[in-house]
Amino acid sequence: MSAKSPKSETPKSEPPKSETPDPEGPGIVWRRNLPVWVVLMALLALSTWAAYWPYGRIDTAIGFGIAGAKTALVALVFMQLKHASGLVRIVAACGLFWAAILFTLTLADVLSRMANR
Amino acid sequence: MSTTAGTTASPTGLADPDELDLRLPVSYLADGHSVRSWLLTTDHKRIAILYAITITVFFFIGGAAATLVRLELATPEADVLRADTYNKLFTLHGVVMVWFFLIPSIPNTLGNFLVPLMIGARDVAYPKLNLISWYLNLGGGLLAVAALLAGGVDTGWTFYVPYSTVFSNTWVSLTVLGVFTTGFSSIATGVNFIGTVHLLRAPGMTWFRLPLFVWAMYTTSLMFVLATPVLAVTLLLVFAERTFGLPIFDPARGGDPILFQHLFWFYSHPAVYIMVLPAMGVVSELITCFSRRKVFGYTFMVYALVAIAVIGFFTWGHHMFTSGMSPYAALVFSFLSFIVAVPSAIKVFNWTGTLYRGQVGFESPMLYALGFVGLFTLGGLTGLFLASIPVDVHVQDTYFVVAHFHYIMVGASVSAYFGGLHFWWPKITGRTYPETWARFAAILMFFGFNLTFFPQFIAGYLGMPRRYHVYPPEFQIWNVLSSAGAAVLAAAYLMPLGYLTWSLLFGERAGNNPWDASGLEWRTSSPPPRRNFFGSPRVQGGPYNYHPEGVAPVHDQPRLPSRGSLT
Amino acid sequence: MSRVEIEARLREPWSELETDPGTAFARQRDGATLGIWIFLASEVLFFGALFLTYTAARLAHPEAFAAAGRETNIVYGTLNTAILLTSSLTMAVASQAAETGLFRRLTLRCLAATAALGLAFLVVKGFEYREDIEKHLVPGAHFALDRGPAQIFFAFYWLVTVVHAIHLSIGIVLVVRLTVKGWRDPDILAENPQVEVTALYWHLVDLVWVFLYPMLYLPGRSG
Repeated sequence: MSAKSPKSETPKSEPPKSETPDPEGPGIVWRRNLPVWVVLMALLALSTWAAYWPYGRIDTAIGFGIAGAKTALVALVFMQLKHASGLVRIVAACGLFWAAILFTLTLADVLSRMANR
Repeated sequence: MSTTAGTTASPTGLADPDELDLRLPVSYLADGHSVRSWLLTTDHKRIAILYAITITVFFFIGGAAATLVRLELATPEADVLRADTYNKLFTLHGVVMVWFFLIPSIPNTLGNFLVPLMIGARDVAYPKLNLISWYLNLGGGLLAVAALLAGGVDTGWTFYVPYSTVFSNTWVSLTVLGVFTTGFSSIATGVNFIGTVHLLRAPGMTWFRLPLFVWAMYTTSLMFVLATPVLAVTLLLVFAERTFGLPIFDPARGGDPILFQHLFWFYSHPAVYIMVLPAMGVVSELITCFSRRKVFGYTFMVYALVAIAVIGFFTWGHHMFTSGMSPYAALVFSFLSFIVAVPSAIKVFNWTGTLYRGQVGFESPMLYALGFVGLFTLGGLTGLFLASIPVDVHVQDTYFVVAHFHYIMVGASVSAYFGGLHFWWPKITGRTYPETWARFAAILMFFGFNLTFFPQFIAGYLGMPRRYHVYPPEFQIWNVLSSAGAAVLAAAYLMPLGYLTWSLLFGERAGNNPWDASGLEWRTSSPPPRRNFFGSPRVQGGPYNYHPEGVAPVHDQPRLPSRGSLT
Repeated sequence: MSRVEIEARLREPWSELETDPGTAFARQRDGATLGIWIFLASEVLFFGALFLTYTAARLAHPEAFAAAGRETNIVYGTLNTAILLTSSLTMAVASQAAETGLFRRLTLRCLAATAALGLAFLVVKGFEYREDIEKHLVPGAHFALDRGPAQIFFAFYWLVTVVHAIHLSIGIVLVVRLTVKGWRDPDILAENPQVEVTALYWHLVDLVWVFLYPMLYLPGRSG
């Protein structure tokens, strides 16, 4: 979190560049987040469209790949993981790593049972 | 540990009227006497006491069920209980003991009490969450126990599908809901301990100066946080399938019951380590104190705790070798299960190494700790039998398995809980207990335990299956031995209830550091004040400073007796 | 914030750290952030286990899942995904604006918008549930599709959407609580860790839905 506190100070310490300092402030917050939202919407549209492509399994992969991309965007920008402390990032990574253990070992059994049926 | 905390004041018993002149703060026990001051407290020490009361009640409920089970098994015929009553009783025993006694036992009582004290903090990081966790535990416990006593559940504590979802006509849904609720109490505790250890260590208390008990609590918390949600989902799916007819595991509609077992054991295998890691933490504190020696290989002890906590998540499949799981996956799980034995063996080796050339004293906590090492070793070694697939196929679902996990969960964890309870009792209550009785109980517990469970290894290896109330007459000798041992064990468990209660009322005042132990928790009064410390603790050295740094241990000298009157 | 204001906001045990109030408050903030992230890691395992049951069942019964997936209403599903993603935007803006402590009105408006979008999601979900019930998509004796494993798909659908809706409802309550507090006392939201904690939880609930969207609404669309 050490990275966070200086960052939250930036709007305060910034000299008023324009003539209208107060509306300028919210603009910074919007400028940081609005592009992400636009990309998220585009990704949503793409995944909806891609689901109708006649490629079978590739459609599924695209659907979940896009979900992963959206997650990365939301986590890094909206959830500010990009600026978070190392500790918080490790905590987030731990959640994913342990979910990966659960998936890998369970699916190792499920898939090898299916292959030998 | 060299600290400056409390060295100036050095107060003794707090209720002594003369001490009020020193203007010391009152102890946490005297800080408010109303029911409200207990039920709405955010003091980690009071919450620890609340937990201690509830888990003691649950322990004796679960113990009563075990007593009836052992009574029934004294003869091969059904003479005390009917089949379905027997099924309900062993389920009651399992559910209550696992989720309402063992899982919260050390973390939520000793852990809650000691973690802030040991790291030099005033409280846990999220005190209100701590209180909420007790209410969740209590609520879930009351719900589950009500269901288990009023209607009963006959599935066993594992709630295996499809029996629990499709066939069982007992009160599964309500019980599952109770356990589900209690799960959130575990998660809350885990979040709390991790936050506390990360953020509230006293100045100078670096990670590698933490007592091993704190490390054990930290690694246990990791497992609380990462394993418990999977149990919650598993139980939620059982609940949904039973109550709302949503078939997830129903094989008649293409569901996969083995998937349930994967999810269940992803939690329940780490849950074994949730029970045993805190015990390891307690025993590390006890052995080092009563050998008057620094823990042998401190850093390796830490790494072993972390390794057990992580590798413990990779081994759950060894519970499923005969379930119809893929043999390839079984091989992988078997291999991974052998690996987890390595850090466990390191710990046993290091405890032994700590004893070597130490000035070993046999006070009651140490007797429990030594009992732990022996029973844990036996339980761990038989675990290796069960990790190897051919042996496991032979003894799966026999009393061999029952004996194995009781050696770990009762022999090891409960011994350590009692050891820790005796060790920190003077700190928690400010009173001493009758040491002779305590030693007698510890020795009785060890022998009673072995008499109860060692015959089960033999009966199991000879082929006696679990979960039946009748059995072929050739197994009777082992069952009579076991039931006789259970009677001894019951007496050994009831004794502390008696003499510890006596000590609360009539015990002598305890000194601040009756064991002459190192550690911050001994640098404050017994019992500690609401804010834990008089000054602000600062840590200048590593833990377990039982003999000076760089000096070889003193041999051939009479051991100093413990300070204070613990007789 | 002034020293008095900071001291008023310090809670135990942070209020008893031997530092100045500013540092103690920063540590209290860090504590809140760390705590909620640990809880979110726990939630990842919670939903991860649910997603695993889906994955295993879908791998075993791909055709049935495709047939069942075609029955869900993709219009409602896509609309709801858009609503939730937008709510995450407003929540992020509210959180970051509160963190700077300068843009009081923006924080308040964005919080209100977030709660409104959350409610909109629940309303759309309600319409969708009504349609699902009319189409007999509830597992049981009157289930519309003839494949057995399709019931597993819809068992998962009902369970996971209800669990998600419960999470979202908790989120709405938390956001409304903050909105009301901020409306009554304009200064309370500035630099308040509760806003960030609520926001992080809200984003996680959104992300769960981001994965539910391809799981529930996209299978079998091309076939």
